[in-house]
Formats: sequence, C-alpha cells, structure tokens
Amino acid sequence: MPSANTDAAIQATGLRKVYGSAVALDDVSLSIPSGTVYGFLGPNGAGKTTTMRILTGLTRPTDGSVRIAGTDVRDRRALAPRVGYLPETPPLYDEFSAREQLDYVADLRDIPQSTAQERIERYLSEFELREDADKRIDAYSKGMKQKTAFVQAVLHEPDVLFLDEPTAGLDPRAARRIRESIAAFADEGTTVFLSTHILPVVEAVADEVGVLFDGRVVAEGTPAELRERAEGEGGSLEDAFLAVTSGGAEGLGSGETVESTAGASASPAAPDASNDSR
Amino acid sequence: MSAGGDLRHGLRIARAELSRSIRGYGRDWRRLVGIAFAVLFLGGYLLVSLPAAYAVGRRTGSIEAIPFLGAGTSLLPVGLVGLAALRTLERIGRPPAEDLLLLTTHPRAVVLGLIGAELGRLAVWFGVPIVALVTAFGFGLGAPTVIPALGLVALPLFACSAVWGYTLGIGLLRAFRRLPTIRRLLKIGGIGGFVVLTFGSQLAGGLIAERSIQASGLLDAVSIRPLVSYVSLAFVGTPLADSVSLAGLGVLAALIALTPVGVVAATQQASALWFTDTSVTAEPSETKTGGERLAAPRPFSVVKSGRIAWGHLLRAVRKPQEFTHLILLVFFLGPVGTTVVQAADDALGPLVAGIGVGLGTYLAGATFGLNPLGDDRPHLPFLLLSGTGVRTIVRGRALAGVALGLPVAAALPAASVVLGTHLLHAAVFAAVGAGTVVAAAAFGLGLGAAYPIYEEREFWGTETVVPSTLVMLVFLAIVGGGTLIALLGTWVTLTGGLGLSPLVVGAAVVYLALTAGGPYLSYRYAVRRYRRYHLE
Repeated sequence: MPSANTDAAIQATGLRKVYGSAVALDDVSLSIPSGTVYGFLGPNGAGKTTTMRILTGLTRPTDGSVRIAGTDVRDRRALAPRVGYLPETPPLYDEFSAREQLDYVADLRDIPQSTAQERIERYLSEFELREDADKRIDAYSKGMKQKTAFVQAVLHEPDVLFLDEPTAGLDPRAARRIRESIAAFADEGTTVFLSTHILPVVEAVADEVGVLFDGRVVAEGTPAELRERAEGEGGSLEDAFLAVTSGGAEGLGSGETVESTAGASASPAAPDASNDSR
Repeated sequence: MSAGGDLRHGLRIARAELSRSIRGYGRDWRRLVGIAFAVLFLGGYLLVSLPAAYAVGRRTGSIEAIPFLGAGTSLLPVGLVGLAALRTLERIGRPPAEDLLLLTTHPRAVVLGLIGAELGRLAVWFGVPIVALVTAFGFGLGAPTVIPALGLVALPLFACSAVWGYTLGIGLLRAFRRLPTIRRLLKIGGIGGFVVLTFGSQLAGGLIAERSIQASGLLDAVSIRPLVSYVSLAFVGTPLADSVSLAGLGVLAALIALTPVGVVAATQQASALWFTDTSVTAEPSETKTGGERLAAPRPFSVVKSGRIAWGHLLRAVRKPQEFTHLILLVFFLGPVGTTVVQAADDALGPLVAGIGVGLGTYLAGATFGLNPLGDDRPHLPFLLLSGTGVRTIVRGRALAGVALGLPVAAALPAASVVLGTHLLHAAVFAAVGAGTVVAAAAFGLGLGAAYPIYEEREFWGTETVVPSTLVMLVFLAIVGGGTLIALLGTWVTLTGGLGLSPLVVGAAVVYLALTAGGPYLSYRYAVRRYRRYHLE
C-alpha cells in the first residue's frame, strides 16, 4: 500500500466496495500527483466505474478513504469546486441548448457571470460548437453532446478531472479535440483521471497507467514501463493489458508495488489473489 | 455555503426543471393534442363554475357557509402529501442528470429544486382554474383582497405538504431498496387497496343514497377545525371575518416551523439514497431461461407470428412489472364489483360470464397493444432489418394479446355455469368473447401506434415505458363501450327480449361492421407506422 502523500491530487487508501457477498473493489489504493494524466484501464466489469464514483464521492465505499486535492470526498461542499466529472453517459438536458446548459451549470457553480460568459464563448469556439450553441441538445450528434458535456465538466476549471470513456464513439476529429484538451489541461496543472478502453488514447496522453482487474489494481506504471515489461508478449500496451487481465500480474513479472517515475503508486494484488474476490 | 445559497440554487434548479417540463410538453404534437382536449373538456366545466363561484361569494354570510371549505381544507394537505409521495416514488426520487447536479451543488439545493419544480408544475396545471375560481368568489364577496390573501395562506400549506410528501416518498424508496420484498408486498397491497377503495366508495355511495345520510354531516366529521381557522386568516378584513384567530396563527407557526425540519429530513433521506448503490444480492436470482422454455410450444411454433407472440408472453412472465399500466382497470372494476355483490342469485352467473368477456378483451388489447412502437423501439433496428415482414411482427403482438385474453374470456363464462348460467348461454358468451378479444387486440395496436411513448419512466423503482394515459382512456372508452353493447345485446337476445326486426338486424350489421372494420383499419395503421418508422 502506498504511503499517504499529502501533495497527491488523488489519494485513495484501502478502498473496498462490497455488494452483498460480491466484492467489486478490494483494497484499492491510489496516490496520483497533481498535473498527472492517469490512464485507468480494466476489462468490462472490473470495477472502473465504481472506482470513479467512489473517487468523486458519488458512491460510498464499504471501507477506505479518499481525498481529492486535499479534501475528503465526504465534504461535498468543499469537493464540488475541485472536481469535474464526465460520466460515460453525458449528463445533459435534451430540452436545453448547449449555451443554456452551460449557463445553467455556471450558475449552479457560482461562477461570476462575466467569467462564465467568457469561458463559455471560448470553449464553444474551441470545440467548434458555437454555430450550434443555440440549438437544442436533442438535435446534437453524439460527438457534439460529448464535447458539450466535456466543456460542462471543465467550466469551473477543476483541480481534478474524472473522465469516463470520453472519446468512445466519437469521430477522429472530435476524439482528437478531446485528447488535445486533456493534454492542455494537464499542462496547466489539472490532474486527469482517464478511464477508457481505447488504449491508443491512453498511450497518447497518459503519464501513468493503472490496470484494474477483478476489483484490484494489478499493474501500474508509465505506459513505457508497462510496454517494456510486456516485451515477451509483443511489447505493446495492448499486450501488457491482455497479459495482466488474463492471468493476474504474473504476465508482467510483477507482484510487488510499482513505483513509477512520475511518482504515482498503487498496491497491485498478488497474482494468485486477483481472482479470489469473485 | 449558506442556506440562502442552497435556496438560490434550488430555485435555479426548479426553474430549469419547470422549463424542461414545459418544453417537453411542447415537443410532441400528440401530447399537445391531448392537452388541448383536456383544456377544452375542463375549460367547459370552469366556465360553468365561474358564475357559481361568483354567486357563492355574493350569498355567503360566514366562513362556515362556504361550501366544502371545512372538508376541503382538511383533506387538501393529506391529498397533497399523498400526491407528493406518489410523484416521488414514480418520478422525482432521483434527480435528472444526477451525476451533474450532485457534483455541482449540495443535495439540499437539489431537494429544494425538485420540490420547487413540483410546486411549479402544480401551479401550471391547476393554477389558472383555481385563481379564476377564487377571483370570481372574491369579486362576488366584494373583497378582492381575498385573492392574494388566499395565495399567501396557501403557500406555507402547500410548501409544508410537498416537503413532507417528498420526505415520505424518499423514505419509502429507501425502504424498498433495502427490503425489496416490502416493495413487492406494497405493490400487491396497493392494488388491493385500490380495489377496496373503489369498491368501498361505491358501497358507501349506495349506503348514503339508500339511507338518505346527509353529506354535510359526513363532511363536518372530517373537518379539522384548526386548519379551517388557518384558512380563515385569508378572510380577515372581509365581511366574513374581522379578527385573527389564535388557532389559525398557531397552524401558521407550525407550518413555518415544520417546513425546514422537513427539508432537513428530506435532505438526509435523499443523500442516503443518492450516494448509496443499489444493494445486489449475493447470487443472481435464479432465472428460468433454459433453452427448452425459449422454444415456442404448439400452437405458437406453427407460424412465425406465433413464435414472436411467445416471446412477448415470456417477457411478460419474466418481467411483469412492465405491465403496471394494466392497474388502471381497477378503477373501472369498482362499480362492476358492487353490482356483483348486490346481484340477485340468478343474475350472478351471467354477470360473471360478462366480466370474463370484458376482462379478457381488456387484457387482449391493453397488455401488449397500447404502446407497440415504444415497447419495441430498442429492438426496431434489429426487427426491421431481420427480414421478417412488418405484418408478422405486428401480428405477433396481436396474437400475444389474444393468447392472454382468450382463455380469460372463455374460462370465466365456462366457470359461470357453476353459478347457474345455462350451458348454451355460457358458450355464446365465450364466442362473443372470442370476437371481442380479437377485435381489441387489433384495435389496441393501431391506437397505441398513433401515440407512442418512448421515454422510460421510473415507476415504483422500475424503469419502464408505459402507454399514454390518454391512449388508455380512449381504449377503455371505445373497447369498454363496444364490449358492453355486445354483452347487453347478447343477453337480451338470449333471454328472448329482442325480436328479429329489420331495425335490430340493421343495428347488428352496423355493429359487426364497426367491430370488424375498426380493428382491421387500426391494425393496418399499426403496420403502416412500423413500416414508416425509419422516416421519423
């Protein structure tokens, strides 16, 4: 288990989530420094969304604690201005236009009106939404909805940004726009927690990668480190992912805590324990 | 953030939710037509009622003399709490765009916003007629000040009732989540309660009429004096009241004190509900989905539409909660039930046979037919590209309805023989039932296809698409009326009360033509709607 890092943007310790007798998360600990883009990988049903919901305070863990930018996630009032969250299904109101939606969110976030208007116009232009900004969202394409939801998540310029499959189903142009924005936010010091199945996106933008399997973090490191350790399997991030999610972490020869060059750390499960929880 | 900040956010959320609702009404022209019908229908009543309210205002010499004030004032908060709890169970137990709102603002603001939006919707639906009636009454009284005064008095009462109704609803949702068995029992109990309430009200009405009980005495019995005193505050300064009552002020103080307490309780309950995942049972419940049951048995397996019908029936058995809309029939069973209870011995058998025909006909049309496009929507891309003809798909739905309704329409007349129905009569009733069942199954499909509802709604914790209430009512009116005519005609013919005059034959021909032609055209329309679905 990593030691508590008071400077970490995301500090999760001993997270466990149990539904009945089914263990969704088991002793997940994360320590992610500010400004890191953290790629969070895992097969379907591994517990990625549960982890994200716990990290954003939307779901209570059975055990363990989370601090985001130094704030306990149970303190919702303090947490709200620090985090932005783009869930897999964009939380938008079909009856609103993009501009109305963003105005509404800015109002609820108490962003001063002049600042909000400046940001809204800037983001609408950057994401090529300006021409359609006054059309109702129910007429938008998937990509337009996703971009609107992305803007909504970053409008208050949060310290930590949680993105759940932000580029899934997008055309290359829209996907690239989102990827560039993720990199830009990270450059400005925002910590990005990126959950996705699209490995090239992770390879392109992530500083650190964590792999969740059967409710446990089974591997963690930079993309280069994971690739390097999967050389026997072919050497790509996909090979590394398949190796750790098919038979635990032994495929990478790990089993010990991985300390990455960027400083993020997790507690990977012992290889033979990764399947025990289900 | 302060309570004031949450209140401001709550008002913003309420405004947004209300705006979404109004835009939602305007988005669908069919819904607008439904609303226009409702406005025309109720507007007529309102126009007739306004002079009456004015006349009451002119004649009234005391608060006690205002008709129904005591009972109305006392029943209003109870009704509002019940309504708010039901709306919470059905619609607003979780906020829309939940992830967004809960990460943007405090749950207390969300609770305030959802309750505020409900009050706003109530005002949109009922505000105009109520204000019109109160205005007419106020001008009749010669004291227009009563109009804003009643508004001021109503606000705390409505707010307090809505807040506690929401708290009750959220509390029930939490209880349902923790104890799913309670939910199932309450559903059964709720249906039973509706039946008892409907039968009870019919019996009570009969008793009141028989024994000449004065309704005013009953109404006085349910009046709560302090609440009447509270509403009387609105009349201070008018010819009806000249002083402020202490009891009225006490109720006002209680309402003002209880409302924030309710908000605190609702926020605690809502936070616990929203930030806790649905508990999952240790092992997935045993579902009988073996291949042997998926294979349609005879006679369903003979034709493709039969196999499709079997699929619908399997779905119905495995997820019966998708058919909650069928409960509407309970309201119409009340009078029939009372008639059964009061029926003479020799009439009981035919009555049961008739009920069987009516029930079977209802099930045949209403179970699978009243929202076919909405129900099929997730599968339409597959269905329409599957190579199966649209007619077969639509026929499959109709067959599923027939397969459900026909046994009921045949079995109850057969069983009524035990209660004294002549065997031949029972057979004729069953034959009539077979005809109305087929007609209803076909008619329901066209009617439902004309006004599809695609949005899933959470009803008592289950996400499902249910037919439009307007469609249900039209179906009940047309099919119910048609079936009743068929049953009465059959009964009168069987008992020899109807000779074969040209008029009777002509009426029978017209009836049969309508019963066959209407459903056929309706079925054709449903097929057309499926074919043109991709054009929408």
